[in-house]
Amino acid sequence: MEQIVFGIGITALAGALATVAGSAEDTESNIGSQGDPNSQVQLAPQMGFVHRIFNKAVAGEPPAYALWCALGAGLAWAFLAMHVNAVLAIVLGSLLAVFVQGIYATTAYLGRTSSLAKFGQPVYVDILKSMTTVAMAHAFVAIFCTVTICYLINAALGHPFPLPLLGFIWGIALGAAGSATGNPYYGKERQYQNQKFGAGVPISASGNIVRYAEAGERNSIDNGFFTAKFGGPASGLCFGLIVFLELWRTILFEKVGAGWGAIIVGILIILVFTIIDRYMEVWARKNYGPYTAPAKEAAP
Amino acid sequence: MTAVAAKPQTGAIFNPTAMVVGIVLLIILLGIGYYVSPTLGLAALIGIVIGGVLIGFGVHFVPVGGAPAAMGQAPGIATGVAMLAAGAGLAGLFGGAWAADQGLLIAVITGGIGGGLMMAITCMMVNFVYVFGMGIPAASGKVLKDPITGDSQPEYKSQGTEGHGLPFVSFVGGVIGGILGGAGGTLIYIELLDLYKATLPTVMNASAAQILPIAVATAGMFAIGLFLVNAVLTAYNITGTIEGPHDPKFKRWPRSVVASAVASALCGLVAILIVLI
Amino acid sequence: MTVKVEVIEGGIPHQKIMIAGLIATIVCLYLSYLNVYTNTAYFSFFGGLAVVAALIWGSHTIKVLCSYGIGTGVPSAGMIAFGSGVIAMLLATKFGNAAPIVALILAAVIGLILGYLANEVLNMKIPVMIQSLTELAVVGALTLMGFAVLITGSFTFTGLTTGSVTLFGMISMPSYQVSFIGGGLVAVAFLLGSIAVQHPFNACLGPGWKQDRMLMLTAECGFLSMIVAAVMSFALISAGAAIISLLIALIGWVYTYCQYIELSKRDAYAWLDAKPIPDVEGH
Repeated sequence: MEQIVFGIGITALAGALATVAGSAEDTESNIGSQGDPNSQVQLAPQMGFVHRIFNKAVAGEPPAYALWCALGAGLAWAFLAMHVNAVLAIVLGSLLAVFVQGIYATTAYLGRTSSLAKFGQPVYVDILKSMTTVAMAHAFVAIFCTVTICYLINAALGHPFPLPLLGFIWGIALGAAGSATGNPYYGKERQYQNQKFGAGVPISASGNIVRYAEAGERNSIDNGFFTAKFGGPASGLCFGLIVFLELWRTILFEKVGAGWGAIIVGILIILVFTIIDRYMEVWARKNYGPYTAPAKEAAP
Repeated sequence: MTAVAAKPQTGAIFNPTAMVVGIVLLIILLGIGYYVSPTLGLAALIGIVIGGVLIGFGVHFVPVGGAPAAMGQAPGIATGVAMLAAGAGLAGLFGGAWAADQGLLIAVITGGIGGGLMMAITCMMVNFVYVFGMGIPAASGKVLKDPITGDSQPEYKSQGTEGHGLPFVSFVGGVIGGILGGAGGTLIYIELLDLYKATLPTVMNASAAQILPIAVATAGMFAIGLFLVNAVLTAYNITGTIEGPHDPKFKRWPRSVVASAVASALCGLVAILIVLI
Repeated sequence: MTVKVEVIEGGIPHQKIMIAGLIATIVCLYLSYLNVYTNTAYFSFFGGLAVVAALIWGSHTIKVLCSYGIGTGVPSAGMIAFGSGVIAMLLATKFGNAAPIVALILAAVIGLILGYLANEVLNMKIPVMIQSLTELAVVGALTLMGFAVLITGSFTFTGLTTGSVTLFGMISMPSYQVSFIGGGLVAVAFLLGSIAVQHPFNACLGPGWKQDRMLMLTAECGFLSMIVAAVMSFALISAGAAIISLLIALIGWVYTYCQYIELSKRDAYAWLDAKPIPDVEGH
């Protein structure tokens, strides 16, 4: 019983950390315009829209976060093997991983922007200085939380995988959850604020991203400021739910029915999310309505 | 070398000669497996091939729209297909590895459910952002009616786009893809783990408890490597984006199944040889 | 100026980069064998140099492959390279002294078959596909071997699975757990390599792509990865050897990073600090 209570406590802590990690991850990638919305930042100068937005094309979010988290975990593992205190080891590992992340961010911006010289896109050094540091700060939060989750899973819950392997797995899951949830909100809602609300961006409008802010010219910190209000928390919720429910069903129901308990609970959770999803889909169809009249009514 | 122009779009055409060559290669590789280790090795190899095929087939279900999806220009999840599948499959592997000592069947199903759970939450949150964050209903661009619910799609498609969000069939596809990926990854891991646990003590001249970290880490690393190889090959097969099981590109799956089977047999054979030579 | 432009436009042919990269990698890997002769770990840094050489070759291969528009992002090419490379590399470590050569041959065979599968069975029909996947698998295997040498000082299976227990009088952990494979550091090496090999082309692609800038960035990524790998090596080899690796990595990184910034300055349209968007006609 005590073991289970302990396990639940760790599970709750891991879930909370994952929520913070997901939220910070999405904000970081939006400040850097990483992931799929990056294609528009890249496209804009080619369409004649020179901008002051960070263009941090290190890799897609999942592989990039797999590296940062695995690296943080690997360094923490090395420090642990050198008998450094666990908390200090995780902090030091995350710090060094953030250093690597920051360097990759600067080289990505310089490389992409220099290759756009033909279209008159200048390199803005002040963007490098101010936005890289903000992105690094968010990345530190995301990496530190994820490495801590991995450490808890390994040390407290007794998962067989070594720390770096767990960092790989949860890093790639963090990137996948954060990019899936956060990308549309940044890509459509923020980059194309000038387009119609409640509709996709017409393909003909591609590249015409918003470049001016309430006052002055928009930069990527404005973007992080905007997406941190919805896209970030939504990504955090997504990753938090994944980590929490995955651990929760294992800790509580692993021993029930020789392993089948956790499976049945997992299926039930999947069904619950399926119902929620279907409800949202129908709700949207009913309340937002079709864009055009249905085909058979249009044809007299 | 004139870049993109040189890529001919061959679509869903199969290449029968190559398929036959692929199957022959598969038989040869299994034969080598039988030759080096008729019992333990071959059983593990067959498990790895099945796992690889599950991954390759499963990735076809995962609805991924790539960059256009991030602008609401195309349906699907806005990220890379290989990496999203890897995220789901490895989350499944995490659960499956945890349940490894409860037997093969339980572990594989647990891994599958883990992957499905990750995809269910992610797909739900994608629709959440589309509906409540951006006020956009889900619509498919490839079919007129959702094959599962029968909802009509074209009139919910906003002007100048190919659709957006995840219609119900894509959601279900995502969950199935996660389940297959998670189960496949776990199957590869368990097969290799059992093989290493049985053979490594003699190979390394150490006790079973001592080599356990080596067995776990090696099997885990091989499982991840095989997962990525299969996921990327499948991503090549569907050229990066797919809407789910209703997409016409889905019909290309036999190509991918053959490719995944051969690739898994090849990599699996190498992974098995590590303890047998 | 005229001479320079010529070099940039033509660039070094891929064949030359491939041969140079391959030879440099193998030679560096074998130079690390001095560790065994001198019975120290001071020559582990040659593994890091092998990583840099292999990555330079690999990033150019990715450029060749990805200029065809393969439908998925550039990162996936790095993933398949290392996914197939790690499998070849781990088996090759069983062959003792011959490990780098075996890794080369084994990875080439795996890459060849994967390339055939992608090109024929999956019907991609990209002319350079088979050759590129072969090269990438070899790059993946040799890069991982380089990281293994850098972190543990050895490329044999025993060396990678058995931890050194000398440092700080290691007591609490069993020695197999504190090792390159047992501790899962192979996963870190996997990602360090797979991101470093795809990042240069991913970052430099565009109409203004320049070969020398991309290759300088690759070297920078290689040395950057070497820095963190050297930090991790403190846990597995003697502190002196790790410090040597770290110093060499730092010097190499600072040099290549400054060079890369210079090259970016050269190629950029303008280099501005806190300036507004320039007025382009029509806006």
